[in-house]
Amino acid sequence: MDVAKYRTLFLEEATEHLAEIGQALLVLEKDPRAPEALDTVFRLMHSMKGMGASLGYDAVSVLAHRLEDRLGAWKKRGAIDAPEGVALLFRGLDSLDKMVAVVRETGEAPAPDAAFLAELGEPEPTKKAPRLP
Amino acid sequence: MSIRVLVADDARFMRQLIREIIEPEGFEVVGEAADGRAAVDEFTKLQPDLVTMDIVMPKRSGIDALKEILALDATAKIAMVSALGQEALVMEALQAGAADYIVKPFKPEAVIATLKKIAEKTG
Repeated sequence: MDVAKYRTLFLEEATEHLAEIGQALLVLEKDPRAPEALDTVFRLMHSMKGMGASLGYDAVSVLAHRLEDRLGAWKKRGAIDAPEGVALLFRGLDSLDKMVAVVRETGEAPAPDAAFLAELGEPEPTKKAPRLP
Repeated sequence: MSIRVLVADDARFMRQLIREIIEPEGFEVVGEAADGRAAVDEFTKLQPDLVTMDIVMPKRSGIDALKEILALDATAKIAMVSALGQEALVMEALQAGAADYIVKPFKPEAVIATLKKIAEKTG
């Protein structure tokens, strides 16, 4: 894997994703039930998780995964807890933005946001991989 | 003869990664799709031997696109692309007729082995 090439691709796509998440959060701030905005934030957080994990940026993938778990629960309920949930997602966005800036400026994997992760609590337990039917 | 693959994923990063993993191994990526609706359209147009289908995509989810493609062609070979925490969705996809699944972050040897296994089933 050409890490430099994928780092560039990550920076481009992560920057786009975070901007789009920010726009969707502004929608959710006004309407915590906005289904399209909720789907968008969930999907892009999922994508951040996958890209981060692929490049070994564990801080990005772990935080995105935790936020994706929260978003999954809100999606099931059909609404984000407002205003706490939206504030939490804005904080997550800010943290991810800083991590992406570290990658851009240093080319290195960013450090985890330990305080925020602690606040988010324990991750959901991982289930066993499904077997083919 | 190479195995013709359609890669469906909303992240350019992931589409590129799959392409680079599989193309040296006898697969040819004949098309890409960035959402579920495009995946169905590209499948109809390109008739690939195999599809890699991300589960979480805009416009139509990977599972909805899987079901639609299988309704068009019951013999379509589709590998779902999943991530940690998506076990229930993977199970739903397998029950709906997905041939198998690969997991992000990709282990190249596992991706190749899974896709080769599916392609062999195609005959």
